[in-house]
Amino acid sequence: MSFIINFIRKILQTMLQLVSVGKRTISNSLNVYIKTNTGCTLSVDLDPKWYIKDVKELVAPRLGLSPEEVKIIFAGKELHDSIVIEECDLGQQSILHAVRSHASHRKKPGSESPSEGSKPLNETLMDLQLSDHERRSVRTDEDRERKRAHFYVYCAWPCKEMKLGKLRVRCASCRSGAFTVDRDPQCWDDVLEGRRITGDCQNDSCIGSDDGPKFAEFYFKCFEHTSQGEDDQAVPLYLIKSNVRDVPCLACTDVSDPVLVFPCDLAHVTCLECFRAYCVARLRDRQFWSHPEHGYTLPCPAGCKDSLITEVHHFRLLTPAQYAQYQRFATEEYVLQAGGVFCPQPGCGMGIIAEPECRRITCTNGCGFVFCRQCLQGYHLGECVHEGDGSGTSASTGDCQYNVDPGRAAQARWDEATKVAIKVTTKPCPKCRTPTERAGGCMHMVCTRPQCNFHWCWVCQTEWSRDCMGSHWFG
Amino acid sequence: MAATRRLQKELADIRTSGMKSFRDIQVDESNILTWQGLIVPDNPPYNKGAFRIEINFPAEYPFKPPKINFKTKIYHPNIDEKGQVCLPIISAENWKPATKTDQVIQALVALVNDPEPEHPLRADLAEEYLKDRKKFVKNAEEFTKKHSEKRPSD
Repeated sequence: MSFIINFIRKILQTMLQLVSVGKRTISNSLNVYIKTNTGCTLSVDLDPKWYIKDVKELVAPRLGLSPEEVKIIFAGKELHDSIVIEECDLGQQSILHAVRSHASHRKKPGSESPSEGSKPLNETLMDLQLSDHERRSVRTDEDRERKRAHFYVYCAWPCKEMKLGKLRVRCASCRSGAFTVDRDPQCWDDVLEGRRITGDCQNDSCIGSDDGPKFAEFYFKCFEHTSQGEDDQAVPLYLIKSNVRDVPCLACTDVSDPVLVFPCDLAHVTCLECFRAYCVARLRDRQFWSHPEHGYTLPCPAGCKDSLITEVHHFRLLTPAQYAQYQRFATEEYVLQAGGVFCPQPGCGMGIIAEPECRRITCTNGCGFVFCRQCLQGYHLGECVHEGDGSGTSASTGDCQYNVDPGRAAQARWDEATKVAIKVTTKPCPKCRTPTERAGGCMHMVCTRPQCNFHWCWVCQTEWSRDCMGSHWFG
Repeated sequence: MAATRRLQKELADIRTSGMKSFRDIQVDESNILTWQGLIVPDNPPYNKGAFRIEINFPAEYPFKPPKINFKTKIYHPNIDEKGQVCLPIISAENWKPATKTDQVIQALVALVNDPEPEHPLRADLAEEYLKDRKKFVKNAEEFTKKHSEKRPSD
């Protein structure tokens, strides 16, 4: 009996050891790269509890310098000796920059401290939506923690979804990360537009542009996965913000965090779930806008002016199936606006952009079908023959030598029924010809295509007028 | 679902605030997208009765507007024989997702109390309203007595 108890105890002890060892290995080693301005890269394991001073002591001998001669630069800041590594938002395989500090730089007149440097950017940076007044009024640590900057990014690979992001800084000229900023960014424009924040590039081989100041360039990385190198970047979803002012969602009225803040003057807010619901509702009705610069996008749901979402990666918040539909509709809208046509062959539907005067169209990248642009039937010489002219029936009355796939035949009957239904139940918008169905309500029609929006009368099929209102508003 | 959560809150708010002009709200628990209630107008000639309406919310609410229908017949230039009403606040082009149902109901009550003959659904009634107000009021009162529901006693 005691043997069994001993055995179990032993097993438990081993398991405990394993767990604690496992923990220690995670907390004890942060594998990062240290790049120098001489072009070499060291791979080092750091303890998150270490101070920057310890890092300098570790690195200096390998660079042939004394620890006092080394500056550690990370995310646009020279880090002070007293910073603990875990205060920085360093991840596995992050890159620190170690540069030789120039004595002339360091010994500024009146400077007492033996080491320059500051806190890391993630510690000092305040939420970019805050006003100057709000920045200054932060008093407690709790408040500071809440108002610290949070970034959300779309990580295209490997996470493939919205993640927390990390802000990084490099030199706009040489793209070296050994760059220190003169001031922290205070608004999104500071981050997204170049040439707003100046700084000092420590890369010896950086030539810069002319004699002017050197500018910082900001970029983002995914917080979630281990960095895959300097080119592993993520797209900032800058409309997604921390809900620092507890604004309720305009749709469901819940207060959630984070939220999506629309780029309108009133900064309307929706929660992410309602943003998805909004996109899906608009997508189903093909109510997205096709903007020449920004792409297939939406304005603020309250209909504010100049409120289009200009970064379409925000639509990555949709589910993969919804996003696939978004992409398909966007492509179709693009093809239509460019004067293109869709291959009429069942199951194909390839978009084709051909010369405007060309009537013979070949589905080159799709099924290879050759068709007439006007009647969408197989290509023919001479005038288009319309259905119901009697010419189509001759084939079926003669001796049929062809094998007809019953599935295709059934599909064709449905296609015909669909065409008839559209013809019978819809009327075209007098302006853009979009087939429109009147499902109820009054005779006052508003074209459903967002870029048309023409007001017309179902009865007269012309622009809606006061006469229509007076004589047959409701039929 | 955004629509359900929002409508539950709106319904609770309306019930606790106790609107005087919109009473007896009935909502089937299995379908919060359809509400019925009694419009209780203050102005003559409609202040002798109450009018049952149905509000239908789409699944995409609040990104699409609700629809309102009168279940009780009413003699009114802006409400037709089928109970259809053209209320600008819930037309597709004016609709704002932040608009609450109590605002919609207030707009509807205001329209019932003060007809807008400039935008009529029934041109005949609008003409009568503008040209012979006495006759209009008399007809409307008789119509209300005949067709409308009893006003809540409290």
